[in-house]
Amino acid sequence: MDILRVKELLLQAAENPDLSFDDWEITQEMRRGWEFYFIRHQLDQNRAKQVRAINLKLYKKSGDGQFLGSASMEIDPTASDEEVMQVIRDLIYRASLVKNPVYSLVSGDGKAHQSFKMVSLEAISDGFIRALQDVQETETEDVNSYEIFVSEISRHYINSQGADYLTVYPSSMLEVVVNARDREKAHEIELYRMLTGGSCDRDHVISVIEKAMQYGKDKLICEPTPAIGQAPVILSGDNALEVYRYFLMQMNVSAKYQQISRAEIGKPLQEGIEGDRITLRAVRELPNASHNFTVDEEGSSIQEKVLMEDGIVRAFYGKRQFAQYLGIDECSNVYNYVVEPGTASETALRTGAYLEAVEFSDFQVDPMTGDIAGEIRLGYLHDGDTTRIVSGGSISGSMNEAMKHMHLSSEKTLYDGADVPSLIRFDSLTVTGIS
Amino acid sequence: MKAKFSPYLSRLAGFFRELSEVLAEKYEYVSILSTDSKGLAVRISQRAKSVSSETMTTERGNVVRVLLDGLYSEYAFNDLDLEMALWPTKRQRMEYVQDMADLISMEIDRQRELLKKTESAIYKTPALQGQPQVMLSEMEAELLPEKADVKALVDRMSEISLKGAGSMPEALDCIVSCQCTHINKMFITPNQYLRQSYVYAEGSVSLIVKGDEDVKFAREGLSGRCGLELFNNLDQVLDKTILQAKDLLKAGRIEPGEYDIITTPEITGLIAHEAFGHGVEMDMFVKNRALGKDYIGKRVGSELVTMHEGAACSPSVTGYAFDDEGTLAGDVIEIDKGILKTGICDALSALRLNTVPTGNGKRENFEHKVYTRMTNTVFDSGSNTLEEMIASVSYGYLLDGTESGMEDPKHWGIQCIVSRGYEIRDGKLTGKVVSPVVMTGYVPDLLGSVSMASADREIEGTGGCGKGYKEWVKVADGGPYLKARARLG
Repeated sequence: MDILRVKELLLQAAENPDLSFDDWEITQEMRRGWEFYFIRHQLDQNRAKQVRAINLKLYKKSGDGQFLGSASMEIDPTASDEEVMQVIRDLIYRASLVKNPVYSLVSGDGKAHQSFKMVSLEAISDGFIRALQDVQETETEDVNSYEIFVSEISRHYINSQGADYLTVYPSSMLEVVVNARDREKAHEIELYRMLTGGSCDRDHVISVIEKAMQYGKDKLICEPTPAIGQAPVILSGDNALEVYRYFLMQMNVSAKYQQISRAEIGKPLQEGIEGDRITLRAVRELPNASHNFTVDEEGSSIQEKVLMEDGIVRAFYGKRQFAQYLGIDECSNVYNYVVEPGTASETALRTGAYLEAVEFSDFQVDPMTGDIAGEIRLGYLHDGDTTRIVSGGSISGSMNEAMKHMHLSSEKTLYDGADVPSLIRFDSLTVTGIS
Repeated sequence: MKAKFSPYLSRLAGFFRELSEVLAEKYEYVSILSTDSKGLAVRISQRAKSVSSETMTTERGNVVRVLLDGLYSEYAFNDLDLEMALWPTKRQRMEYVQDMADLISMEIDRQRELLKKTESAIYKTPALQGQPQVMLSEMEAELLPEKADVKALVDRMSEISLKGAGSMPEALDCIVSCQCTHINKMFITPNQYLRQSYVYAEGSVSLIVKGDEDVKFAREGLSGRCGLELFNNLDQVLDKTILQAKDLLKAGRIEPGEYDIITTPEITGLIAHEAFGHGVEMDMFVKNRALGKDYIGKRVGSELVTMHEGAACSPSVTGYAFDDEGTLAGDVIEIDKGILKTGICDALSALRLNTVPTGNGKRENFEHKVYTRMTNTVFDSGSNTLEEMIASVSYGYLLDGTESGMEDPKHWGIQCIVSRGYEIRDGKLTGKVVSPVVMTGYVPDLLGSVSMASADREIEGTGGCGKGYKEWVKVADGGPYLKARARLG
């Protein structure tokens, strides 16, 4: 069974007066993957996969045309024609039970559109394996283990309105654990990194791992975080991305429609901003991003647009269903975004007394409530003259307050799917210490 | 009634046995795991509704594991020519079996070529020795997802959602979510033939309410190794959610500090999971990534701390008969009266550590690798009543509602984000609520401070568990109310 046969069966079903439905979408994803699992630099296991996933979604309007129902189901590649016809019958019935306000699928021109990016599983895997072999290890800092995942993904989307998009792209992930230990080997530190991207960016991989080793080395000589109370806090890396994701979520049509977001076009997300005001743009592609697409998973052409400008909400993004409920005709998902740089340099942000927290157990900014929380695993506590390396305790706060006094660096860093200011400084978060 | 094993897998059993035999001519070990798990997921709110057949664990596919020269390799696939695989004439069927074996072998050989080219060393592991075994386990469930009366379920959930949304002026929406999955797995080696069929269900009722400055989210879940009958009493779940939402609306911020705490069974489970669950997953011992390796036989908690782990511990969402490597479900006492006794182990890690597997080798699905994973992680009960425990606290908090947790097996740090803290002063609940609460600390300090445990015990499995930030599997955890001391912020 494949996507084209499912389409043929749908067209046959549409001829049957007993099988009434209005629209359909089929997505077929072919995943070809190679995986390598290393302990130290010895291969623990290798894996390969070849998988076809077909998803069929059927839409049915209510008798009075006021509501639109939908239901979806995975279709097994080994399914027979009869089994697919039964799936179609089941979906028609289930869709009739769902009553959502009416919305429309994306309209295509009836032609097949294809976007290919060449993928060599062997070449990308080779790049990762050699990059890890080239990491500069020492007697006291080294790589504990790593897992390499390289995929070629072929996503084919078609619908009843003539949309037909095939996208073939590479997707990679690297999980690395590094250790640092004292010379007596009495105490060992572990740090974790997960990198995603299109293919292997050798220099970036090595740089991230070697920086993690340096953090590990510092953690060996850390002291307990004192109970500081309210203090300026600097965030970077994945922890800064978590903050940017909070802003991004506020402009998501799903959050807006469900009243989780209070963002309104033309209005600031928060009053009384005294720090930097965020400017956030959705872009179609970023270098080596794992989701550089021209259309999203609903077939909508990916738009490049300003979502927030100087703290003012300018546009929403996300699924067509919720966009149309909000009266937005053109909308697409965001896979890549840019946050414009702030006004102060990293050096300027790193002045006075502050805590630069670089490692957490799991730093989180709740996209709904804006609650900020994370246990500190490594931080650098500056008092203006001296720096202490600290660990333990937690950082907490609320974005509603924290964003009023937030400063972004003028230097930027590129991550998978995000090009953002490297540092964020909050003037006041709660730091719960352990000494 | 018994949840009948998948007819689809039964039909393919002969083909996979033949495939395992052909592969065994080249490889030192061969196993095949085939899955066929169907589900139903319904989500109803006042603003959007959906019906889908996909849950976290629905899948249909196969993964072949082979061993050659000390290296284990796997090939995962889901596309088969069924006509050829089920061909009645053995000679022609075997042509297809040979084609599949060649395809698998060729892909693994291509990877091996790359490993040679990159001069990668191999972590050599001996061959697994599966004892000859045949098993068919079909567990009890009343209402299977594939035979669900979807209309009745949608109508019932719509009623609850409407009632929840109208329960208070601050309510913005009420989301009712119900999922049910019928798991079917078949494990085949040249001398093993294991089949299992069981059904689990999980759901939640959530209320989104508007606070003074932000939105609050209250959620009450339910789960069990059963069918859709789990959702017969959603009214009671809604009532609990409404109480939570009212508490969140009046919640303030906690003054950071160290406090006496009482954890509800839900938070007790979170601690069990994050504190020692991950810390004794023995694939981490192989990588020297867990401090627990050096603490076997040593004290890690108070006398009141006894912790079990295993799929056989409880008929929960992860109460299976055998794991994804064909090891039968176990019940391991990890901590006995405060002393760390042992960990949990998948089959390959057990070979490397010269120990026995405990039935904890799990995959996210057939596309993913096996890791040592938790199943039911549970503290044993004590002898106190909750009232006695509250009465013993001069100033502290009763902690309830899981937001998230994070493990730290290497350094034994713990981070639990808890939805609500209920203030206790002079042995009484004051009615004051704080939210959210970040509980952090050093695991042996936290478990060492456990001074009381209630006589009752609850186990739930409404969420998923990742290893690091990936590999999501179903787990359950729980225990009694515990009294301890922790740092809150």
